[in-house]
Amino acid sequence: MSLPRITHLPSGRLLSTILHHQPLLPSIIPLTVPKRAVIQGEYRRPGQPKKTKFAWQKINFNFSKGLEGIKKHFTLLKKEFTDRWVGPEGKPIVEHMLEQNRVVWEFRGPESLREWTVSSDREIGGHSEAYLKLGRNNNTCFLYGTLSSTPPRDGETRYSGYCTMRSKQPLASFDRKKHHDWSSFNTLQLRVRGDGRPWMINVSAETYFSHQKDDIYCYFLYTRGGPYWQDVKIPFSKFFLTHRGRVQDDQHPVWLDKVVQRKIPSQSDDKTDVSLP
Amino acid sequence: MKGSRCLHQLKSLRLLSHAGRRLPPPAAAAAAGDNGALFRLHSSSLLGGSQCPQREVLRHFHSSPARTKSQPARFVQEEDKTRDKSLVAHDDLFEQVAKETKTKATFNKVIDVYTKRDIRRRGHVEFIYAALKKMPEFGVEKDLTVYNKLLDVFPKEVFVPQNFIQRMFNHYPRQQECGVQLLEQMESYGIMPNTETKVLLVQIFGEKTHPMRKYQRIMYWFPKFMHANPFPIPKQLPEDPVDLARFSLTRMANDWDAKVTVYQLPCTDITDSGAEVTLPHIVGIQSPSQMEALAKHNPCRPVFVEGPFPLWMRKTCVYYYVLRADPAPPEEKLDLDLDRDLGDDESFDVEDLDDGPVFAMCMTSQGDQATLNQWISGLQQSNPILGQIPTLFRLGAGPRELQGVGDTDSASGTWFSSHAHKEEADPGEDGEAVVEEEPRRSQGVKQ
Repeated sequence: MSLPRITHLPSGRLLSTILHHQPLLPSIIPLTVPKRAVIQGEYRRPGQPKKTKFAWQKINFNFSKGLEGIKKHFTLLKKEFTDRWVGPEGKPIVEHMLEQNRVVWEFRGPESLREWTVSSDREIGGHSEAYLKLGRNNNTCFLYGTLSSTPPRDGETRYSGYCTMRSKQPLASFDRKKHHDWSSFNTLQLRVRGDGRPWMINVSAETYFSHQKDDIYCYFLYTRGGPYWQDVKIPFSKFFLTHRGRVQDDQHPVWLDKVVQRKIPSQSDDKTDVSLP
Repeated sequence: MKGSRCLHQLKSLRLLSHAGRRLPPPAAAAAAGDNGALFRLHSSSLLGGSQCPQREVLRHFHSSPARTKSQPARFVQEEDKTRDKSLVAHDDLFEQVAKETKTKATFNKVIDVYTKRDIRRRGHVEFIYAALKKMPEFGVEKDLTVYNKLLDVFPKEVFVPQNFIQRMFNHYPRQQECGVQLLEQMESYGIMPNTETKVLLVQIFGEKTHPMRKYQRIMYWFPKFMHANPFPIPKQLPEDPVDLARFSLTRMANDWDAKVTVYQLPCTDITDSGAEVTLPHIVGIQSPSQMEALAKHNPCRPVFVEGPFPLWMRKTCVYYYVLRADPAPPEEKLDLDLDRDLGDDESFDVEDLDDGPVFAMCMTSQGDQATLNQWISGLQQSNPILGQIPTLFRLGAGPRELQGVGDTDSASGTWFSSHAHKEEADPGEDGEAVVEEEPRRSQGVKQ
């Protein structure tokens, strides 16, 4: 793969667009210059078959699933209607205004695990694995697995070996996207127990433009290791902006009113066990 | 005014480049560090203008020496004429030069061989890529002087854009990418570039180019993140396992007052039958508050020796064992009503996360029951109550099995037993062999 068609961008950002997914192997002569559309759609990895399914073929028509769906969505809808009478976001206004801390994620049973998606290197062809299960006493979640940093042999990936735990997008009734409003808070607090490896906390916000789809705010989470729980408090002002893994030149604070996801990736060489409450 | 300044800049750059090309490579290598630029300037004033070999291509105004090349660059070297004429990677040069040992000196030698070979530096991009790939084998990937020397391979001043059009259109894109890759490898190994790197980059690529921007980004972000770790690990970890155990135990223990005790040093014994028995080291840690908690522990409830748990420090993994008890049942917990504010959220009870109090930790290279028994006996010297409390072992798969290729049998293989301290004459309280069903890890773990 060679350089894409260079458009006239300010020099600060040019670097970040060139270097996405495009390490140059010196002995390969590029045969064609790939054309990349300005609107970045889904990237198809080399080797993956082209998906030529039409939109209507992707819908799964199933009666029992439909019934469950109706029940779930109408319950959510009813809850949304009644919550407005209680106060903003379903809480009384006094509580909403005066709250100092809000528990967003806690692991109190198997249902809480469904909020999280665990992914690893495997989806790009690597050899890492990651699993999530409930820890002891059903109070914590335990992320464990194996990391291997041999990059997949697809000719364009240079570094590899990661696993992430991602929170799912909160959904309102009828699968409408909802976001977290954290504008009244300024710190993220976690209770973790790691194995000494550094992790990262990624927060992503809902953006308007599709170019900003991969904008992620990151900060490091250093674990000490050992059997004691570690309280980590990260103010939101410390998060820095990255796009597709590259730190950007134009930094701005996190948009707290449209927070969508929280991710905890780790990159390292070997087996990893991280416990998170 | 501007024109004369440009001319002056060109002249000084030319002097610099001449000096850079003419200096013998060992001297150039010795000029590493902040004195690099000064040394070059100084030598240029000594040599300036006196030597002018015919091979030196003079810099023409508004054009680059690249235009004077008559034939396209070839990748075939003289030695490789006997081989097939396909694309020859420059790795061969590295392998030829260092068949016996791969050290920094041999790596530098390869670079010197290449730079002295041709003033035009044909194929320097491929050479630099090959060198970057070979660096870990030679063990020089964390050495800044080697990176600077490699950056020196680029011909100077040729790739500097001269006007705004060249600056706009990514002048010499392959070379710029190569420079960026070199800096990226430095960044991934966490090496901070220095002034010599900057001077080299300015000479080679000029300002406002991608490698220069990359350098500026590194110099902005690295100092910000260098000290972000609240639990820093020194770059050189201690080699001695006892020292390493001591360091990691103090790191994990949450307490400045915790005391590290070495129960056994590693030694090799020869038994009566002549067989060699290696005794592993046992290093334990316990703090005074833990000793108090253990003394207050209810002897009816057992304590567990759990392990091994991994602890990673950079690339080293060590395993530790923990002596802990199960969390107290809710009725025994005291509800300490500390002053609570109006805004405190009382629904999230932090005490629920308690995994049970930890009484002591230890590290040993061989995690079998005999060694851990020794640790418990050693602990008993300072905590006599351990004689009355039944101690159960909840050991996972040992580190040896973790390192090898594990099959599903070993993944689920956990063994439990109980150990009765025979010092106290109270056999009724000591536990018999109890097998517990709770697996430490689920089936999905690959080892």
